[in-house]
Amino acid sequence: MTDTVLIVDDEESVRRTFQEWLTAALPGANVFAVPDAESALKVANEYAVDLAVLDWNLGSGSDGLRLLEDLVEFRPDVVAILVTGFAHQATPLDALRMGVRDYIDKNQDLNRDTFVAAVRRQLDRIYPAKQQRELNRRLAAFREAVEKVLPIVQTSAAFNDPVPLPAAVKSLLRFVIRGTLAADGALIVRHTEADGTESTVAYGSDGVALPTPLVPFGKSLAASVISFQEPIALNDFDPKALGPMELLPFEANRSCILAAPLRVAADTVVVVELFDKASPGFTEEDRRLIASAAEVGTDLLRQAIAERQTHQLLFDAVDAALQATAHLTDMPTATDTAPPLSVMARLKEGLGADSNATAPPETTLRLVEAVRSLAVRHGPSAVEHCVTVVNDLRKLLDEMTGTA
Amino acid sequence: MTSSSPPNAPTVFDEIFARLTPNSIFQDARATGDGIAVAVIDSGVERAVLEAKFLAAGTPIQHIEGAIFRPTGPPLEYTGHQSSPHGTTVADIVLTLAPRVRLYSADVFGPTGSCEVETVIAALRHCIDVWNVKVVNLSLGVPEHKLQQLPRRQQLQRAIEEAYFRDVLVFAAAHNEHPLTRSYPAAFAPPLISVDKGLFDDPLRFAYKLTEQVEFQAHSRGYLGPFAREPATSWATPHLAGIAARILSLKPDLKPFEIKTILYWLFRSGGNGKPAQ
Repeated sequence: MTDTVLIVDDEESVRRTFQEWLTAALPGANVFAVPDAESALKVANEYAVDLAVLDWNLGSGSDGLRLLEDLVEFRPDVVAILVTGFAHQATPLDALRMGVRDYIDKNQDLNRDTFVAAVRRQLDRIYPAKQQRELNRRLAAFREAVEKVLPIVQTSAAFNDPVPLPAAVKSLLRFVIRGTLAADGALIVRHTEADGTESTVAYGSDGVALPTPLVPFGKSLAASVISFQEPIALNDFDPKALGPMELLPFEANRSCILAAPLRVAADTVVVVELFDKASPGFTEEDRRLIASAAEVGTDLLRQAIAERQTHQLLFDAVDAALQATAHLTDMPTATDTAPPLSVMARLKEGLGADSNATAPPETTLRLVEAVRSLAVRHGPSAVEHCVTVVNDLRKLLDEMTGTA
Repeated sequence: MTSSSPPNAPTVFDEIFARLTPNSIFQDARATGDGIAVAVIDSGVERAVLEAKFLAAGTPIQHIEGAIFRPTGPPLEYTGHQSSPHGTTVADIVLTLAPRVRLYSADVFGPTGSCEVETVIAALRHCIDVWNVKVVNLSLGVPEHKLQQLPRRQQLQRAIEEAYFRDVLVFAAAHNEHPLTRSYPAAFAPPLISVDKGLFDDPLRFAYKLTEQVEFQAHSRGYLGPFAREPATSWATPHLAGIAARILSLKPDLKPFEIKTILYWLFRSGGNGKPAQ
């Protein structure tokens, strides 16, 4: 990650000196030096400025704080070092709130070492947040790319799917039903995932998926047909003598059944079932026909199922990527994380145990949390300022109330 | 000088085979399969269904053990369930004919529902080496056109031959369209007993009928489940395996070629096995 530092000072000699110091000390950094607010905003418009070194008095009635307000519009996380000969004029609270992290007094401590050290200190301090921002930015870019790709993938899948599965099922069943004069038919697809997860889907003769079978596949008629490894006809089908078998709903109340296995893939087996041919039922010719149809149908279904699985894998991957980046904007930075509740509870318990305490533990904790949050957002100097303000307030109140 | 016995005088073999009749063997009360371990390499066995059936019939069976096999890796635990009903119907036939055998279920279909040659070989070796079975029933086969790769075919043949030399009888089903379609391992006929389907009026009847490397025919209807009523080599094979188990329970140390010879002679001498259709 390259650091970008913007120096704004209307005095050319100062500006050039600052730039030379930083260019030498931070060889990997982008260091821009401009004389006024307008030029500064142009740079900020083009580059992501991490740190601005701003002259308090930029001439022409402009000042560094006002410029910082504008810079924040371009880069909300920008931090600044204010260079001033008029430190006493600064309004520290406003400056802190706007992102000023340090002051350098031109008249006192300004030299090469103090200047470079101040800049380095601030760059080191913002590094973790910057790293997090960079990660978020890349993830956001990834998500944006995925979102752009998704419709293209879906369209491509639709165009490249030469035989959609329902259409393939419907064609195959229509052919064998017509050829054998069966009254109805169904097709059962059983797929085993790499992790051993099994799924069974049944389709009706119209190619539409039937309700998910509840019968364990190992007890189904289809499983038996697969074990047979060849077509088999049941013409005197007796549903009362099922033995170790259970029927699927669409197989119940059938007078005769002709079934054939299709070895579509190592992890996918398909069974075609035909039902209720008029008496005397399915013949040897029907068995041969369905055997031949199974050979052709295997290729047809193999293509349809393989296409579908490939597309599904792609869709799953895209979906996983989108889900992983869904809460990107809500992703907290490590520095914003509040202390664990257990820590707060222990603090509260400790404060409650102090017999000299005059404020309730909740109030004290609110103050502690406010200071902690201040330190996280604006660094130790903000806390120092806070301590000064509290002390000043105490002195003021002491004087007003005459408290010793 | 050579002996001068009449040319048509009975030989010692004729005397032995004269005593070896279907009645003398199958009517023997000891011919129950007792003491014989039989493996059914198939799609698993639904143990509770068979136990309940035979208990209800008054012929309780021995506890069925088994394993689930894969092409590679150790076998998985058998939990008493089938991968499909086919194996249960096959086991039921063996137990119907020889209810006292010790039955092992080698499930080679497993959860994937598919069976590879390598899985069958792994199961066969387990049956021989671990379970020490005497009889193996294979009511499955791979059609010739799907086993074109010679190395795979040779591996299967080696496993079958190994069983033969370890005195293990392998019964293998011919393809239902045999001889139009040849199927392995049934086509490796010499070291095993290949079985085609036939319909007989008695399930103990069978026939020697050599047809394109398949030697025997046995009764091809089963007793359990709707598919059992359809004639199939899957049901014929366990009939002959069950018959062999009954013979072996009378003399357990018979070798495969001896059993094959006895089966042949039983067919010839007893008028046994003329197919009903």
